[in-house]
Amino acid sequence: MPKVTSRLRQMLIKPMRLPHLTPHVANEGDPPVFGFNSERDDIVREVVQRLQIKLKTDARPLEYALNEVALDEVRRLESQRDDEAKLYLGKWRSLVKRVGKMTDGDKLDVLRETSERMAKDVAGNFDPRVYSFATRAVPHALSGILKPSSILQDAAHLGRGPVAVDDLLRTEGEIPLLRDLAKKGTLVFVPTHSSNLDSVALGYALMRENLPPVVYGAGKNLFSNPIVSFFMHNLGAYRVDRRIRAQLYKDVLKTYACVMVERGYHSLFFPGGTRSRSGMVERRLKLGLAGSAVEAFSRNAVRGTPRPVFFVPTTINYSLVLEGETLVADWLKEAGRARYIIEDDEFSQLDRWVAFFRKLAQIEAPCVIRFGQPVDPFGNPVNREGQSLGPHGRAIDAVGYVTRDGKTVLDPRRDAAYTRDLGQLLADRYETETVLMSTQVVAHVLFRILVDKTPGIDLFGRLRLRGDVSVTREELRADLGATLDKLRALELSGGVRLSAMTRSTGPDELFTRVMTAFSGYHERTIISETNGVVTLEDPTMLLYYQNRLIAYAERIASDVQMPAAREISRFALGIGGAS
Amino acid sequence: MSAARVRSLGVVGGGGFGQALAHAALRTGHRVHLWSRRELPAVERLTVTHDLAAVATADLIFVAVPSSHVVETAKALGEHLEGRHLVVHVSRGLVGDRLDTVSKVLRTQTAARRVGCLAGPLGADTLRDGLPGGGVIGTAFPEVAAAVCEVVSGPSLRIYETDDVLGVELSSALVGLLALSLGFAQELGFGPGTLSVLMTRGLAEVTRFGVALGADARTFSGMAGVGDMMAAAFGDTRPEVLLGRSLARGRSPEDAAREAGAYVEGVQIARRVASRAKQLGIETPIADAIAQVVEGTLTPRGALEHLMQRKVRRE
Repeated sequence: MPKVTSRLRQMLIKPMRLPHLTPHVANEGDPPVFGFNSERDDIVREVVQRLQIKLKTDARPLEYALNEVALDEVRRLESQRDDEAKLYLGKWRSLVKRVGKMTDGDKLDVLRETSERMAKDVAGNFDPRVYSFATRAVPHALSGILKPSSILQDAAHLGRGPVAVDDLLRTEGEIPLLRDLAKKGTLVFVPTHSSNLDSVALGYALMRENLPPVVYGAGKNLFSNPIVSFFMHNLGAYRVDRRIRAQLYKDVLKTYACVMVERGYHSLFFPGGTRSRSGMVERRLKLGLAGSAVEAFSRNAVRGTPRPVFFVPTTINYSLVLEGETLVADWLKEAGRARYIIEDDEFSQLDRWVAFFRKLAQIEAPCVIRFGQPVDPFGNPVNREGQSLGPHGRAIDAVGYVTRDGKTVLDPRRDAAYTRDLGQLLADRYETETVLMSTQVVAHVLFRILVDKTPGIDLFGRLRLRGDVSVTREELRADLGATLDKLRALELSGGVRLSAMTRSTGPDELFTRVMTAFSGYHERTIISETNGVVTLEDPTMLLYYQNRLIAYAERIASDVQMPAAREISRFALGIGGAS
Repeated sequence: MSAARVRSLGVVGGGGFGQALAHAALRTGHRVHLWSRRELPAVERLTVTHDLAAVATADLIFVAVPSSHVVETAKALGEHLEGRHLVVHVSRGLVGDRLDTVSKVLRTQTAARRVGCLAGPLGADTLRDGLPGGGVIGTAFPEVAAAVCEVVSGPSLRIYETDDVLGVELSSALVGLLALSLGFAQELGFGPGTLSVLMTRGLAEVTRFGVALGADARTFSGMAGVGDMMAAAFGDTRPEVLLGRSLARGRSPEDAAREAGAYVEGVQIARRVASRAKQLGIETPIADAIAQVVEGTLTPRGALEHLMQRKVRRE
């Protein structure tokens, strides 16, 4: 039986596409991605051509590039031992021995073939029929999970009226401006990343808000969930195989991302690279693929066809995180880097999905996506016309940023510098655009109490205190009430955002609701209450949820709480090497 | 990278250093718009103006105003600057209690993004006449470094490059603090051995502080750090040394600044550094001691004794 299940699973996660009987005819006003399939071969060709130029002009000898790819492929295929290995392992092994004797022409040929195979594997697919189906059916399917009793009723009204899933997700921020900008240039969404559900949630939010769909790179491991896999394959996601470490592959990905933005495909990149293991809002952003969008702007400008690129700092905020337990465990093991690819977390377990969504249905707006003020690649705000604005509100010419002595020029070092600055700006925006959820605020107050009551004990010692630290409900009410007041003042001064419940609910009711939210989904009980005494049952999950408040800890603490708040804010610098 | 030439150049600030930059550019064959509040004689290829718009016609702009005027100057420049401009400042100051760098102020107040800081033991006469000497341009943008080298350097005037602009700005500003403590110790009559200890430990202190703010430690060992500190130690007559001497004579911060021909902000840097260091959880004993002397809670000699009696640890 397990064998059959595993085969079925394998079948489901293979790229599945629907047959096309007639070619898709694009309508006016369709988002650019609707026409993607007709351009795909051309895009792959362009990626391969650019890489050939890069390889020819690179200071690094071709032999190094080829050797690196060959050795990396041998290593990867040896550990994979699958059909792909059967097909290619022998070839790469023999190539490793021959590299030294090959001519430059031969080396370039092999590199071209390899990069072409890689680019084809990366390139996605977009099927407008699947998109149309998804817009109508997915909300109802999810609603079915939330409220099994509503399935029949929903089916009768497919595509009409609000559905239960709408209550799950709140969207806020610059939505009307983004609708205008989508027509003026290319949108590049750059959100915080805490769950594999992020891309699904964001995709759904865009759909609901009448914003165009985006293309994005999804780790191949995400395709392990069969339902998600089907939609990803057909809704423009391109596949990123993190097992391949060769520079050539990274260049294929970057070039692909660049060509896509250049051609006007609205895109999504997670600048943090991977899900935040600690639950903290990302501070150090390398940008990675998002940096390609800066190059895309330069290339269009140099070609004489400037096309604005708008970066949209976005925060995705959850009351509960589907994979919270696995992520925080990984962080604490200081193995965040070693286990870069987690394949066995809650995301790949359908029963966890069902449990998660049923839990969410009991919480008010458990996910909030906030779209911040969009900026051009150089950090300037933009107006509805898509023009960049200087500090005095004056429209400025963004092409100027890629000129030198009056001429537009390409310069990778310059663009890398712009990208670093943009990373800093996004990190700052994340801090002010984060929407603090009630679970996170309560977790912070409780964790601060834990730190305060256990002086001199290190973090790991505190995490072992399961059920050992308690606080009276009255004491908690006072602490939470004062912290909420400070948070609300901080929101008024633009320092952070609060969820509707955090903004307007009194401490007592808020705590009761958070108790409900926390109970039942995560495996261990997080907090319990008996006879007016609240006990901290699982400090690890409290830590995970409270980590979202680290940047604000000192600003929302009273003088008495300050030492504990300082200790908490130092977690941002790392705990015994983890980050 | 193409071997493009700087087409035109602007200098904001008609003080000694601003004029020296303008003359350096004339020396290397460029045309210059110099913005100055005071009247200065125009010479061939040099236009003196009171209008920032004229300066903004240039591609490369040097900002050479005292750090106490940087914010207002940057705001005024913000009306004219665009993305095409390359902006380089020569300020040795940090702005406000958060110790913002001048490049940050320029990037916030203007649309210019390609900014840099020219620093190191570069005297005005060295720049003007292209005498043997050197400095460093800190910028993340290769075109800024190339433009500055083209305009300023000479056969024996060497301009090094680094992309650690934060390190250059912090080194440059914090060497001012070391120069202040040097003048201070000199006035108290300490000899070369004591002064060397003070400078060496001072450098370790400012490096630690700079690294905590995100700078690269190596930058502090370069032109903007050690290079500039040595110029102070070898006796260039910079205001910070004179300021330290006046303070050691027991003058009030205002009087000391007046005596030294410096701005009173220069006196306050010690307290600002000490406070920021405390927030960051790092030790800055020299900044702490100077701050206490300025505030009158420690005598000049008491401060030095306090520093020398600290517990000795591994270097």
